[in-house]
Amino acid sequence: MGIALIAGAGMAGRACALTLRRVGWDGEIVLVGDEVTHPYDRPPLSKSVIVGTADMDKVVKPAPETYAQDRIDLRLGTRVEAVDAAARTAALSDGTSVAWDAFVLATGCAPRQLPIPGLERAHRITRMDEALALQALLAQGPQRLAIIGGGFIGMEAATAAVAHGHTATVLEAAPEPMARPLGREVAAHVLRWAQARGVDVRAGVAVESVAEAGVVLAGGEEVPADIVIAAVGQAPRLELAEALGCEIADGGVRVDAGLCTSVEGVWAIGDIAAFPSPWADEERIRVEHAAVAIGHGQVAAERIALGEGLYEDLPTFWSDQGDLTLNVVGVPRPDDEIVWRGDTETPACTAFYVRDGRMRAAMSVGDMKTLRGVRKLFAAGVEPPPAVLADPDTDLAALAAAG
Amino acid sequence: MAQVSIGSLGDFADGELTRVEADGTALCVVRVGDRVHAICDDCPHAEASLSEGDFLADDMAVECPLHGSAFNVETGEPDCPPATEAVRVYPVTVEGDDVLVDV
Ligand SMILES: Cc1cc2nc3c(=O)[nH]c(=O)nc-3n(C[C@H](O)[C@H](O)[C@H](O)COP(=O)(O)OP(=O)(O)OC[C@H]3O[C@@H](n4cnc5c(N)ncnc54)[C@H](O)[C@@H]3O)c2cc1C
Ligand code: FES
Repeated sequence: MGIALIAGAGMAGRACALTLRRVGWDGEIVLVGDEVTHPYDRPPLSKSVIVGTADMDKVVKPAPETYAQDRIDLRLGTRVEAVDAAARTAALSDGTSVAWDAFVLATGCAPRQLPIPGLERAHRITRMDEALALQALLAQGPQRLAIIGGGFIGMEAATAAVAHGHTATVLEAAPEPMARPLGREVAAHVLRWAQARGVDVRAGVAVESVAEAGVVLAGGEEVPADIVIAAVGQAPRLELAEALGCEIADGGVRVDAGLCTSVEGVWAIGDIAAFPSPWADEERIRVEHAAVAIGHGQVAAERIALGEGLYEDLPTFWSDQGDLTLNVVGVPRPDDEIVWRGDTETPACTAFYVRDGRMRAAMSVGDMKTLRGVRKLFAAGVEPPPAVLADPDTDLAALAAAG
Repeated sequence: MAQVSIGSLGDFADGELTRVEADGTALCVVRVGDRVHAICDDCPHAEASLSEGDFLADDMAVECPLHGSAFNVETGEPDCPPATEAVRVYPVTVEGDDVLVDV
């Protein structure tokens, strides 16, 4: 058996450690994370944590004592500093060295650094300590927020803040926020629904600098703010993978369907992994979503402990923006053709992402029944023509069952 | 565990989800014919109340209104992400017309 060393105690690393024990790995498990908080669910940070409504026992989980019970050697506030593939050793920031038999890269993404003067004044919300710092400020009373970046995280923070009595202006460089993950047509609808809920979105603007009194736009206009948040994207942390000599592909660590990298005995999971998926046309995809991270952690654990297991799940993700919850099933691409089902004036409609005449993904805010039907269609391998999908009277689950 | 009465069988419409407080625990209760099932009302994934979702009779499962994981009322297991943990299942007995839950 030996020692499994997991670098990064985020969502993927946590799932891997817990699953290793569950599937019977009897060796040592060393889970090393540079954050000080016990492993937690990251998605609530930009939603309930910043506005102080999160039930922290449900966010920081499992209970801290679980790690000792499961004989997981959890080293918090500790970094894996260096790693040697030939000697199979790693040096940690607590001064110890670990001789590993299996090494799992679960280092996630680091916030993108943009050359915007004054950006260091802005809050970040990708880690628990950062989100709690913002929570303390928002608890002081109504604040004016300027949020740089209209991706999911920026839009979530804006809608959550507005729902709690703050004002929020989202500053986005692209013509629509969330256009990269959702495509422009769907993003435009989501934007209208968010605006109807009081979020002020300024799209197509360039940020010049962050000043004491707010954000300065190109051309000199100032957007006044008490608090500035930078939600400008992120990029995989690849230093350890590179030090190990792992092959890099599509901006991530290239893995096979068992999450194994090009270096024997080394796995890569979660945000950093570029993995093959039966649900995508591309040879490999990299996905920055929670359900994928957890699934990767579980499969890598099975591989390490039992030598079997493939990650073939249908990718899904969600984004809670106040009372609007976006649910996406499948792998959408921004240039897919969009076919709608239901009344597009309301969030109860569904967007199907169609490529080469086949539905590849679906997004809905209010229509859980249609999304369930879509999952069943994918699982059954049934591909109704787009016109059939678009008809609100067709029962998708029944079509899937009929085969 | 304490057995708590949460009402009579007639209080629960077939296949409809009802939120019930029993001894300080919020339950999502559903009646299927002469049987009654109770699970914790709090979705293990995030912050939804499961009784605001839908009962999927074919799957014997409660679908979360927020992100769509459906929890089997007998095992508590979710059928798809994003939920990964089972919801707690509470044993229910029907004595005569009285519905009793172990909480
Ligand atoms: C604010 C926010 C909101 C999100 N909301 C959603 C959502 O609504 N839905 C959804 O599907 N996904 C969401 N996501 C994405 C989801 O959280 C990520 O996809 C998931 O956390 C990825 O898991 P991971 O383990 O790969 O990385 P992470 O969870 O980021 O964990 C990586 C960990 O490794 C640590 N680390 C890095 N290098 C080292 C080192 N050398 N030594 C030790 N530790 C190290 C990092 O500090 C971090 O703790 C959100 C992400 C953020 C930031
Ligand atoms: S809150 Fe229930 S599935 Fe997310």
